[in-house]
Amino acid sequence: MDGFTLVLWGVRILFLLLLYVFLARVVRALLRDLRAAAREPVDRPGRLVVIESPAGEPAAGRSFGLDVITPLGRDVNNAIVIEDPFASAEHAVLTYRGRSWYLEDLDSTNGSYINGQPVDGVAAMSYGDELQIGQVRFRLERTRS
Amino acid sequence: MTAEAGRASPRVASLPRVLGPIRPRPRWQELRLLVLVALALGIGSVSLGATMTGTFALHDPWGLGIYLAALGGAHVAQVLAGRRTDQILLPAVAMLGGISLLLMERLPQDLVVQRFFGASFGLAEVQLIWLVGAILVATTVSIVVRSDNWLRRYKYTWAAVGVGLLLLTFVLGTEINGQRLTLQIGPVSGQPSELLKVILVVFLAGYLSENRALLVEQDTWLGPLRLPPLPYLAPMVAMWAIALGIVVVQRDLGAALLFFGVFLALLYAATGRVSLVVVGLVLFLLGSAAMANLFDHIRTRIDIWIDPFSDPLGAGYQVIQALHAFARGGLLGMGLGGGLPEIGGRPPIPEIHTDFPLAALGEELGIVGVVAILGIYLVIIQRGLRIGVAAADDFRSLLAIGLALVIGIQAFIIAAGNLKVLPLTGVTLPFISYGGSSLLANALVIGLLLALSDKGVEPPPRPTASSRWRRLTRRGPD
Repeated sequence: MDGFTLVLWGVRILFLLLLYVFLARVVRALLRDLRAAAREPVDRPGRLVVIESPAGEPAAGRSFGLDVITPLGRDVNNAIVIEDPFASAEHAVLTYRGRSWYLEDLDSTNGSYINGQPVDGVAAMSYGDELQIGQVRFRLERTRS
Repeated sequence: MTAEAGRASPRVASLPRVLGPIRPRPRWQELRLLVLVALALGIGSVSLGATMTGTFALHDPWGLGIYLAALGGAHVAQVLAGRRTDQILLPAVAMLGGISLLLMERLPQDLVVQRFFGASFGLAEVQLIWLVGAILVATTVSIVVRSDNWLRRYKYTWAAVGVGLLLLTFVLGTEINGQRLTLQIGPVSGQPSELLKVILVVFLAGYLSENRALLVEQDTWLGPLRLPPLPYLAPMVAMWAIALGIVVVQRDLGAALLFFGVFLALLYAATGRVSLVVVGLVLFLLGSAAMANLFDHIRTRIDIWIDPFSDPLGAGYQVIQALHAFARGGLLGMGLGGGLPEIGGRPPIPEIHTDFPLAALGEELGIVGVVAILGIYLVIIQRGLRIGVAAADDFRSLLAIGLALVIGIQAFIIAAGNLKVLPLTGVTLPFISYGGSSLLANALVIGLLLALSDKGVEPPPRPTASSRWRRLTRRGPD
């Protein structure tokens, strides 16, 4: 193996190496971008959109911005008041912890349902899930500014 | 003197107001990555030059110089425009384009000869012209486009333009290799399907963002499958018909596969329903099976895919040669310019510069190089999805996701075809294959993605077309 072949081999490997150095730099930038996005404070982490409401209060199509803790029920002191004969006064609480949503049913008479499944105590919710309280159905959505 | 200067300065300040105030914004990340791209391409060029001529010197320093200067120009234009757009897309695409340039310089120059203004240009020179044109298109679009209303409002107009282009190709297209894909109007010729894929994404993003709530909300049951209401499935069926129509009339399996793949991906992104994708895939497979029974050229493709060695010198030749190229390349490859033994003065694989650049790169850079190139495509997809997630509303979100996936799915289709993972269909490898239509259309995609990534862009207009949604919900449950 003469010197020329050896150097050429080195140059070839260097080219491949540089491709990977480029890729590594890009991936590092991507990771940094994702971490920065994860740290970004979210003022309104989500919203509940009413998709069905036979009693008309809240009206179908209405959307509620959610706080970190959002109580729901028939009582007027709830953040989201549900005027439905099948809803309890203090029916459930929707909370945002870490980066996910949890629904806690407050021993309501008729229970809460996520995607049709009854909630036993606390259940996790994610965006797009359907929440039913009484006869009112909501959908949890991401907030868009 | 001072008074003079004082009077002169407001006049200077008022001058750029016509164009909007120029506030340069440095883009260090982009610059650093571009320097790395230039370094890598320089080393690649030396490697190519040493193999081809036996001395350590840049192979075709002018070509590489013009390409890098164009990239530098694009970077300076972005800095001067001062928009807060993505800084990773341009270097990633620049790397792919540079690899394309090195590959085209390495292939026999008489594969393509075009005449512009009396002078004739070989393969690498024509590709360089298109690459510079692509950089120009991407930069212009990313700087000029500040509002998406012209895309959002006129989605049916765009769809009509797309269908018109398609029909025009059916009627007036020139047939090359038994495929009617190229449209020639005067001196300009191009493949409309490349532009069509961008129009398709715009239309689908518009349609799905408007009807998303309906598609998710109402149900039709088909046996165990939960489907959206039938009237809103009509576009899906229409899409399916158009895809199969393209296969029948244009014999362009690749474009049909790409369109349908993008359609299903966007449908899933908009609704989050796997059942739709399953139904779509089943429809496509049924359609393909029927097609394979009806048409010889499709059955041939599938036969080649299943066993290319049954006809090694005829139908299976191209695929077998590509497999050999990957095999010769091995882990680290033969080095740029070191592989692809010529058979009678031709490269071993027919249509190597359009359909099989990945096989060529597989032979010369090995699996290590191919994996790096596929990694760069993944980076482009990630950027698009990220831009989509950060977008202000559904339309922009779906548009960004669709634009990124159109590049990603196209790269996957042809890479899988090269490697005999899928039946071979003739689509280009984005940014690497030779071809003006492909480069310019993909540059348009990148330009739009860059424009969408701007954090300070105009807010989207208030939704107007929710009336159908409201009418449906007012009716109440029953």
